[in-house]
Amino acid sequence: MNPVLNWRVLYPLLAALLLLAVWLSLALGPVSLPLADTLRALLNITGLNLTEVQAQTELIVSQIRLPRTLLGLMVGAVLALTGVAMQGLFRNPLADPGLIGVSSGAALGASLVIVGLSRWITLPVVLEPYVLSAAAFAGGLLVTALVYRLGRRDGQTQVATMLLAGIALTALSGAIIGLFTYLADDSTLRALTFWNLGSLNGASYSRLWPLLVVALGVVYWLPRRADALNAMLLGESEARHLGFDVERVKRELILCTALGVGAAVAAAGMIGFVGLVVPHLMRLLVGPDHRLLLPASALAGGALLLLADLAARLIVAPAEMPIGIVTALIGAPFFIYLLIRSRG
Amino acid sequence: MLQAQQVSVARGGRCVLGDVNLALQPGQVLGVLGPNGAGKSSLLGVLNGELAASSGQVLLDTQPLASWQGRRRAQRLAVLPQSSSLSFAFSVEQVVRMGRMPHDTGMAMDEDIVNEVLRAVDAGHLAGRSYLQLSGGERQRVHLARVLAQLWPGADGQVLLLDEPTSMLDPLHQLSVLDAVRRFADHGASVLIILHDLNLAARYCDQLLLLGDGSVQACGTPEQVLQPAHLHRVFGIEVLVQRHPERGHPLIIAR
Amino acid sequence: MRLEPILAGLCTGLLLSTASLADELPQRWISAGGAATEWIVELGGQDRLVGVDTTSQHPETVTALPSVGYQRQLSAEGVLTLAPDLLLGTEEMGPPPVLIQLEKAGVRIERLSASSELNALEDNLLRLGALLGEPERAQLALEDFHRQLNDLQRQIKLASKTDQPPGVLLLLGVGGNSPLVAGRNTMADWLLRQAGARNLAEHEGYKNLAAEAMLALDADWLVLTDRQLRGVEGQQALMAQNPSLAASRAVREGHLLSIDPTLLVGGLGPGLPDALRQLSHAFYPRLQEHRAEASQ
Repeated sequence: MNPVLNWRVLYPLLAALLLLAVWLSLALGPVSLPLADTLRALLNITGLNLTEVQAQTELIVSQIRLPRTLLGLMVGAVLALTGVAMQGLFRNPLADPGLIGVSSGAALGASLVIVGLSRWITLPVVLEPYVLSAAAFAGGLLVTALVYRLGRRDGQTQVATMLLAGIALTALSGAIIGLFTYLADDSTLRALTFWNLGSLNGASYSRLWPLLVVALGVVYWLPRRADALNAMLLGESEARHLGFDVERVKRELILCTALGVGAAVAAAGMIGFVGLVVPHLMRLLVGPDHRLLLPASALAGGALLLLADLAARLIVAPAEMPIGIVTALIGAPFFIYLLIRSRG
Repeated sequence: MLQAQQVSVARGGRCVLGDVNLALQPGQVLGVLGPNGAGKSSLLGVLNGELAASSGQVLLDTQPLASWQGRRRAQRLAVLPQSSSLSFAFSVEQVVRMGRMPHDTGMAMDEDIVNEVLRAVDAGHLAGRSYLQLSGGERQRVHLARVLAQLWPGADGQVLLLDEPTSMLDPLHQLSVLDAVRRFADHGASVLIILHDLNLAARYCDQLLLLGDGSVQACGTPEQVLQPAHLHRVFGIEVLVQRHPERGHPLIIAR
Repeated sequence: MRLEPILAGLCTGLLLSTASLADELPQRWISAGGAATEWIVELGGQDRLVGVDTTSQHPETVTALPSVGYQRQLSAEGVLTLAPDLLLGTEEMGPPPVLIQLEKAGVRIERLSASSELNALEDNLLRLGALLGEPERAQLALEDFHRQLNDLQRQIKLASKTDQPPGVLLLLGVGGNSPLVAGRNTMADWLLRQAGARNLAEHEGYKNLAAEAMLALDADWLVLTDRQLRGVEGQQALMAQNPSLAASRAVREGHLLSIDPTLLVGGLGPGLPDALRQLSHAFYPRLQEHRAEASQ
């Protein structure tokens, strides 16, 4: 089967889609701003200060929409890229970054803090989001490390064992989260629920930095492992015979995914389906070759998340919907469509 | 050149291969024969580094195989496993081109090599198809093309290990594929091939190794190894051995 | 013809003067807290409300206002579309980064206490009064609130001399599913005690109780509150799903009460004294007779 679209056509299309998504994300919102004002406010961020813009406009564009757009871009790209990495590692197009326990570990860390803050710990309110993010990140890394340890045997990483360990630890995390839920009071419970649905709400530059570092790392490093991922699809021993240090590649893929998903979840909560559906869709368009698949997924992941966030912001304005609901509402039916199509 | 020196392999406390000595010679095809469970795959595993020898050692040139670093080793040693679990919709050329990963020979040259090896295994017409749409035999040929591409065009010092490359092929393609392997060896590479068909082994191999119960039962030219007594001892079959009327190699006929 | 410019001038003058007067007081309010919204309306500030959160359900008129979503998940830009100059909520309001963004955008943010203590209510009411420019009215409302509660307490004290305080369970229903029982340190517990009842449940918070344990507590009264089904409907759904409850003494004797679930969240609202009166009158049938004595 040849890819549906030649990459020479697809890449410009994806890049254009991403640019469009970025522009819409900056230009649209519950507050309607004239396009010219949005542009001027953006130009002012560059420090040129060519024109005067209303302080309110400037604030909305530069302090609310721009950090939010950057956050969406990074979270989308990272989730899609790590989704590709996990599908390659597990040689299964249905794999998802959550398989190695990152997401459930992050949820565990987050619920510990959300419930703990209401019962045992008192923190300045301003610090809460940082502590929450740090706990989610640490929880994700910790559970992934445990899954990885459980998957090791005789100096080798057994991917199948890891998969089972991931399922077991996800169930265990779920049980502990359930315990926290049981302990939680009414308002804490709602905070937990909302965290689990994800949101780009309240993005600020100070909270972008950690994710930026991780996202740049993932975006730089994963495409450099495209050949190794291709070889891994043949089989682990085949990849070894093609000259790859398979153990190292696996270790790096897992670390990369744990850091990437951990940071993304820490910054924006749980956002499902992006890591599963975007790689899947891109594979249909460019084929399974990771050299093409990885960049395409990063572009499409960023664009999809920005558009989903736009919907989340606009549908119930002036309130806003958790973005996880939007991605699942788009993702799940699409996934069902893929299942039906591949069966036919 | 790949050598096994008194190699034994234990799996789960049981010795599955004992005291094997062999040396692959440049330009020669060594056939490995034996019933199921005789240790053929263990031998292949220890020769390609997937299994550790419990005693003895495997040398590539004069250095232990384990000391060869990934890419350098891949340029010298290619391995075709019995079956592949590839389940992604790569195109046939993409699969074969993966054989070129250990090399930096450039897109244009890789392209030429991919076309050559596909033609060599009589799979030129599969170019452009999706791997997943191929039949089992076609897939097997594509993977053979991939490992050939990894060492192409084949030279002295290179080693190709093949685990039953003809198991899923029709009679015509069994011959054409083994012809291709033979021609590849003629360029100077050493080839080890696990086969089940005694007549194919007699026809294409320079040397044969008969494995039974984890140890070498006979070793030498096809004429030396393919004797009714050996075959009866190892396989438990009664055979007549005759001469191929045109080509002169032994011809095994079940009684 | 001549009159028009004069009238227009007069009007602008009037507008300007009210505008300058109102300068110190916020005119466009968003209230993100159920009880706070009720008090704002009670104190005559409904006209200033331009938006409310999802916990603001009373009085019904406020539900027609634009909703800014759940108090913990406010959207900075969403709130800004309503151009408020005051965002009023409880300490539960968030997320914090959004509040910071809103403050930068010039929105004044006031956090009231969500605690269900009378001290907190006093503080909240006086602040609301000041913000509305109606300090006296707030003071009166506060005094009235206190007086109502105190009167009720006196009546109950008298009544409990002759009648045993009833043992009560408060069940928080979830659309007829197995209900949560209100334990210690809940708003519901406070409510029951204020109404002169003994809360039979001794656990912390809201928990599921085993059907047997619930029967064994043998409550005199069951107070039901349901998020989805109000009143009789809620009672019927609960009984249908929990046959063991239907067999309990309280139900057999028809000792079932329903209260509005919004009473249990977001602090003390103006509707509280009424709700307490209804409960206590059910618990103490002869409360009415003591009323006269108590007020003397």
